[in-house]
Amino acid sequence: MAEVDGEFTAFVNERGAVLLRVAYALAGNQHAAEDLLQNALAKAYARWPRIRGDAEPYVKRILYHDQVSGWRRRARRAEVPVADLPERPAAGDDSDLRLLLRDALRALPPRQRAVLTLRYLEDLSVERTAAMLGCRPGTVASQSAKALARLRQLVPALDELTTTTEVTR
Amino acid sequence: MSTSLDETLRTAVRDLASDAAPAPDLASRALGRGRRLRRRRRIGTTVAALVAVVAVTLPFVLLRPRPAPPPTTPTTPRLSATPSPALRAAPGPDWAERPLVLPGDWVVTRAQTADGSGSGFLLDRGRGRYFATDRYDGIFPAPTGSLVAVRDDGRPREIGLFDLATGKTRWYEVGRALTAPRWSPDGRRLLFTTRQVDHFGFVVLDLDGTRKTHPVGELGWPCADRCEFTWTRSGREVALALSKQKSEAWPRDLPKGVQLLSADDGRPTRLIDMPGTPVGPNAWSPDGTLVVVQGQQEPLLVETTTGRVVNPLPTADVAWVTADRLLYRRPLGARDFVLADTTGRELVRQPLPRQLVSFELTIVPR
Repeated sequence: MAEVDGEFTAFVNERGAVLLRVAYALAGNQHAAEDLLQNALAKAYARWPRIRGDAEPYVKRILYHDQVSGWRRRARRAEVPVADLPERPAAGDDSDLRLLLRDALRALPPRQRAVLTLRYLEDLSVERTAAMLGCRPGTVASQSAKALARLRQLVPALDELTTTTEVTR
Repeated sequence: MSTSLDETLRTAVRDLASDAAPAPDLASRALGRGRRLRRRRRIGTTVAALVAVVAVTLPFVLLRPRPAPPPTTPTTPRLSATPSPALRAAPGPDWAERPLVLPGDWVVTRAQTADGSGSGFLLDRGRGRYFATDRYDGIFPAPTGSLVAVRDDGRPREIGLFDLATGKTRWYEVGRALTAPRWSPDGRRLLFTTRQVDHFGFVVLDLDGTRKTHPVGELGWPCADRCEFTWTRSGREVALALSKQKSEAWPRDLPKGVQLLSADDGRPTRLIDMPGTPVGPNAWSPDGTLVVVQGQQEPLLVETTTGRVVNPLPTADVAWVTADRLLYRRPLGARDFVLADTTGRELVRQPLPRQLVSFELTIVPR
């Protein structure tokens, strides 16, 4: 038991920050991210003898799985309300645009944020994103398109960056 | 997408992830939660060791029979002298040695935590006794026969069918984002709700592994509460509760009714207006004229033809034993089983072994 605890603690100490970043991008706030991650880590601990050596993919799978499983239950309250549309930043002001986009990402429904997290934080292809979320590549594309449309609505300055090809490619 | 937009989005997502503040005690908190989870998985095993009788090694890994306790006086349930409700004796310490027979001649086939995790007890009807299980993350015995559906968090896309008679398990791929399996009343099919992204619907799995996925589109109203499909009593249709209005403040949505769909092809068949959600196939009366639902505020007995509320009940998780008798667990206290009439008047009460009180139980006709 002490050996398992030691290995597990070492794993969390080493990889916890990376996993927390993923959980935060999925959940959108600190409290929910820690809860999501702790739940996944607890499941990993309970199965440690069977998953040691492959723990990080296991924990990530649980993170995404738990997020997907909760979508329908949480859908109506998981979006973070944004009181006002963000102000349009001055042209060329990249740091303002990034800040606005970061806040707008929090306002996306969890499913759309999960797709963008896998695509842009984990750098997964559409196909691998689909495999991770248990859906078809077309669904990933449609969710990406919806996410982009919502981001454009929240951050009109995005239009200036967009040509005709979208995240659905 | 343009490179500029692509890079901007990538940067924004990484910015968002970088907002995560350090969680210095993450390891210790996760360790604590993990230990509690592990303990829960072991509780059933420990309890079983106290009540079991003969150590018998079965040729399969799922089930581990426990040694039998010394012979005790017969504990055949008996009626007490109390006229109303009649109180049956609590099962003795050797309860695991025989099926727990409930009023109305139903039996307990499974005891496990509500989320399906951890240790539990399973009735081996062929051997007429209970066994402790701790290998899988969910056990779901069929209402008839010897099959047990089993889930493993490590195989989230699959469901296992364990045969108590042979000790063999076959695994079938079902899909992702699935709810727990629900057995059809005849024990020949399994129903799953699939919550894949933009792919809501249900999956029916036959015992030979044949799988049919039925995406369900717009039904006129949004699905209610847990958005989960359940079997109807006939097993020919599945039911999905619909809501008139999603509720933020109230714990449950304002109900519209229940949409029935063909289990064979997924087509919507009937929409029955009613003020709540049936828990499962046993909530429908044998003749189909009445159903017990979880209303927005309380459990209700409802006429299926008109949606009229007949009377409230203590719980929505009931089984119709006959045309005028319901079997359910009292929602509070020691959570005894009671046989009641359709007004909720208790007729017979059956206490449970102490070890099972906190578990979710599965019951079927004997």
